[in-house]
Amino acid sequence: MKAVAEEASALKGQDRREFLRKGLAVAAGVTAGAAAPALAKGNPADMAPNVPSWTKSLGRGVVARPYGRPSDFTDLQRRTVPWLTASPESSISFSPLQDLKGIITPSGLHFERYHGGIPEVNPDSYQLMIHGLVDRPLIFTMEDLLRMPSVSEIRFIECPANGGMEWKGAQMEALQFTHGMISCSEWTGVRLSTLLDYVGVKPEGKWILAEGSDASGMSRSIPMEKALDDAMVCYAQNGEPLRPEQGYPVRLMVPGWEGNVSIKWLRRIEVGDQPWYHREETSKYTDLMPDGRSRKFTFVQEANSVVTNPCPENPIRHKGFIEIEGLAWSGRGTIKAVDLSFDGGVTWKQAEIKGVALPKALTRFSFKTEWNGEEWMLQSRAVDDTGYVQPTLAQLREARGVNSIYHKNSIHTWNVHANGEVHNVQIS
Amino acid sequence: MFKFPSALIAAGLLACTTAIAGDFGRAATDAEIAGWDIDIRPDGKGLPVGGATAEEGEGPYEAKCAMCHGSFGEGVDRWPVIAGGGDLDGTDPKKTVGSYWPYASTLWDYINRAMPYPAPQSLTVDEVYGITAYVLYLNDLVDYEWELNQDTFTEVVMPNTDSFFVDTRPDVQNTRCFENCADPASFKIVGVIGGVSPTGHFKEDSGVASSHYGDQPAEEEAGAEKVALSADAMAGESVHQQACLACHGAGIAGAPKTGDKSAWEGRVSQGLATLVDHAINGYQGNNGYMPPKGGRMDLSDEAVAQAVSFMVESSQ
Repeated sequence: MKAVAEEASALKGQDRREFLRKGLAVAAGVTAGAAAPALAKGNPADMAPNVPSWTKSLGRGVVARPYGRPSDFTDLQRRTVPWLTASPESSISFSPLQDLKGIITPSGLHFERYHGGIPEVNPDSYQLMIHGLVDRPLIFTMEDLLRMPSVSEIRFIECPANGGMEWKGAQMEALQFTHGMISCSEWTGVRLSTLLDYVGVKPEGKWILAEGSDASGMSRSIPMEKALDDAMVCYAQNGEPLRPEQGYPVRLMVPGWEGNVSIKWLRRIEVGDQPWYHREETSKYTDLMPDGRSRKFTFVQEANSVVTNPCPENPIRHKGFIEIEGLAWSGRGTIKAVDLSFDGGVTWKQAEIKGVALPKALTRFSFKTEWNGEEWMLQSRAVDDTGYVQPTLAQLREARGVNSIYHKNSIHTWNVHANGEVHNVQIS
Repeated sequence: MFKFPSALIAAGLLACTTAIAGDFGRAATDAEIAGWDIDIRPDGKGLPVGGATAEEGEGPYEAKCAMCHGSFGEGVDRWPVIAGGGDLDGTDPKKTVGSYWPYASTLWDYINRAMPYPAPQSLTVDEVYGITAYVLYLNDLVDYEWELNQDTFTEVVMPNTDSFFVDTRPDVQNTRCFENCADPASFKIVGVIGGVSPTGHFKEDSGVASSHYGDQPAEEEAGAEKVALSADAMAGESVHQQACLACHGAGIAGAPKTGDKSAWEGRVSQGLATLVDHAINGYQGNNGYMPPKGGRMDLSDEAVAQAVSFMVESSQ
């Protein structure tokens, strides 16, 4: 306890509150175990039998915060790993999966990935140009898009580099950094097939190039089959206009595929007869194999899962009942089952799917059990409706080596220690 | 079952039968398309008329690229290494333009659309040809005097072109085993390497910076300590955010960080006029190179001077 107090005294403000909340909880778990009563972490003057200060005065009125924001007592934030990239405009941040309790990621916590910063696009000047091998090259305005028939779907977006820091070994002592390059939202917009039908794709049109208006001019080639299947040109996220970080005013959404193809700040779609082989489909987002050759057009995000409670940020604080919770997802379809292992993959038990299981969306799972100080090697294993079973790390390494960067969807291991702490380990 | 005549399908009329009714969008003119259609393909489709040798590209490369990518393409700090490399089937593969990129068109397209990093789509056509040629030259793929243009483009041979193949996943097949699925006696359990997780978010003494700007307080928190700025400096703040911060925010390529008093003291003592001159016309220092206007030649001299004032006044 003393160590926690000393460490906390070096911190300030929000960090201190957060550290104290978590640190005290850990310390309580370590020294007191399940038998101890809950420690008083708050201000006794606000706790029974005293009447709290917030009861004895009026609170804020309506529209004190016209948009609204989380309580000041919470500490929800995207975080980055600065050494990953040279500068913040071409970088990535991670969603705090350890703090979230649903399948929808709050818009402000959606992970970020930019290659040239966030452009501030004026919707009055917004144009979407569709041209190339089409009957009628057209320019659409925001008003045009908003008038067209729309669809709404809950779909995840995942960076294919999610987990990519851990091909060679465990690196990150935090769920946010091992798996936080995924978020899930309700996306609303026009089916890309509606737009392509409207401009009339010529028979030789086999690929599209989607291009953003940001400083990187992000561009990706997408096969026509996928463009006509379930891709969307989106203007809304979780019921409100897209966030600037997510492509305001208009982005492409390509369900189940690596996030990079869901071009943000979409300005142009060109129809062509072959792929363009731009930087983000050659130099990057190709997967280097042990023989020195590389896979290209590795679009789909295969089934993956991770336990979110417990995890390094959420150590076990009490002996006795615990609900193991986590997230599973598959870019090929719907999660059908999730299994848990407590012994590093020797034996497995089926978990429950919690709430709705939607295709190409984050899906929650749950397993109610007891923990009494034993060491766990906790793993989850997702199965999707194509029958695909999430692979082990050893299987992936055998097939792909350790230099492919992208698409590491292997079973993850949390080592739960006797004191309730949780550490990231790899079993080989 | 109703069938469409194949002639109709070929004419694209099939699509029209499923199209929504209504009047959406308007025709894109040739000029509008030309203004935005910047993409280049491996077969050279899209390349504009122009050309330059590697020799002609050396100057623009040194002025606009070398501060991040290095004079030999070796990369500065964590900016991309673009020359040399190899060992793609080894333990530490180095993916560069020469060792990895399958097509030279990708290089032309990317430089044209996204480089230089702080000033994208600011290069002339001939500068793009020249810088592309120079990067190919740094990779020993073309001669110094050889001219890259829309006609010679397809002569460039990239060594790694044939090493790419279409995704073959699913490539592994796990089974849904429940008992005796692994042998615990053979387990090798490895934990994390210490010190790489950015726990600076939680602990100030971790030694790990919590953002790209180091351990400096975030902008909002620093507000109370802000000094009163002159009118010039206030006018320069937005230019600084858009044009200067990419390098001067994180101290890239020897750039003094905005707000770093000790880094600026010696510079300020030279006088504002000297600093403005260096910012406008470029300057080779001991630790790095300041390109003219930071590569943002679209900025007026006055805007650059105001940005310098902002940086100086914010760093005292």
